[in-house]
Amino acid sequence: MATQKPNYSEEDLVDSLKQNDRVAFEYLYEHYSGALFSVITKVLRDNEKAEDVMQDAFLKIWKNISSYDPAKGRLFTWMLNIARNSAIDAVRSEKRKPGMDDISENLDRTDQNATYQPSPSTLDLKALVDTLRPERKILLDLVYFQGYTQEEASKELDVPLGTVKSRIRTALKDLKHYFKI
Amino acid sequence: MNISAYIDSGILEEYALGIVSPQEKQEVECLTQVYPELKAELELIEKALEQYALQHGVPVPSRVKDTIFAQMKFGPVAMATEDDGGTTETSPDVAADDEVRSVEPQTATVHPLWGRLAVAASVLLAIFGAWAAYQYGAARDENEQLASQVENLNEQTNTLQQRAEYNEALAANYRNPDVKIVQMPGLEKAPNSEVVALWNQKTNEVLLDVRNLPAPPTGKQYQLWTIVDGKPVDMGMLDDDFQGKLLRMKNSSPNAVAFAITLEDDGGKPSPTMEEMVVMGQV
Repeated sequence: MATQKPNYSEEDLVDSLKQNDRVAFEYLYEHYSGALFSVITKVLRDNEKAEDVMQDAFLKIWKNISSYDPAKGRLFTWMLNIARNSAIDAVRSEKRKPGMDDISENLDRTDQNATYQPSPSTLDLKALVDTLRPERKILLDLVYFQGYTQEEASKELDVPLGTVKSRIRTALKDLKHYFKI
Repeated sequence: MNISAYIDSGILEEYALGIVSPQEKQEVECLTQVYPELKAELELIEKALEQYALQHGVPVPSRVKDTIFAQMKFGPVAMATEDDGGTTETSPDVAADDEVRSVEPQTATVHPLWGRLAVAASVLLAIFGAWAAYQYGAARDENEQLASQVENLNEQTNTLQQRAEYNEALAANYRNPDVKIVQMPGLEKAPNSEVVALWNQKTNEVLLDVRNLPAPPTGKQYQLWTIVDGKPVDMGMLDDDFQGKLLRMKNSSPNAVAFAITLEDDGGKPSPTMEEMVVMGQV
């Protein structure tokens, strides 16, 4: 949250990252580590382990940045996939299914954590949570943050697959509308 | 292609969420590169999800950053670890259908009696006649069998020769630096399909090597397309007998960015039926 950091466009950021530029990686960390860490903790539910996985994931991003292809999607999508897969792999190596025993508790915890952040986004998040209907948000979070397939989410929540799909799509529509992009 | 129908299908959302099959992933990556409208829509979805994830960010203990950055080296160091996907080629086994035929020798044992020489002689003659007739018949059968064997061998030689010619033509194309090899993996419709376009970028000749495509139902035919300036361009119909040979297609525009095959009614269509796309590959 330092202020002297340059404000990169996505293209410039990717260019600088591909040139292995320290400032760019610092910027990347400042900007995105929180979001990535949140995904990792949601999958792992073990903060100590989550820190290790965060470390692995970020080093993977650094090592493999040359193979990131902007034509295939945004940088964040790529990074989130790496973080989520690292977390899921860590869970699998423990021979435990990704934490699903209590989603609502998980959701509460996320929101609590978010309130600790002394940033204006707290208000945004509250508004956002209100924007997304809970039954849609649960599904979106399961799939997007925890790497569930739609089939798995359907089984886990005992909601028909078609409903899962339409709820997730509506949630995304709401998000697009909310962020007015 | 009907862009809005494709957007409405929800596949871009699934792609952004990371829950598509490898075939669908390939499809989206190709199509978004070909159609700017799709790319723009995907970008919107990704940005919305990104904002959503950023809003959910939680603080990371500062020791984590220190540990991470202590392990990183910066500056213009070549440290790329790139996966090099090697391709393995399997050649079909040549099954040799060898038939071994044996002709059993026929022997007849005769006990002549001196007292009835004439009878014996006639018996002998009769036996010889029978034997000769049998031998003649057997020889004729054998002759026919041999003839059909020769025919089979000829056929086999022909197929082997065709196969050899095909392999030689393939090898020549793969060795030619002017020829761009465009792999077209199967899409959701026919995931096991595999077709390769051999595009000579000097002459713009295009040959198709169909490694695997389901046989088209009657009344249907495969049609090849290229994408040029965001628009599909007809590249001709695939001959129904497409296995094991190189199919000469229409010449390509030098600006083609992708090749794709759709299943269409016999004779083809002026524009591709998106839902019937079986394979696609980027140049």
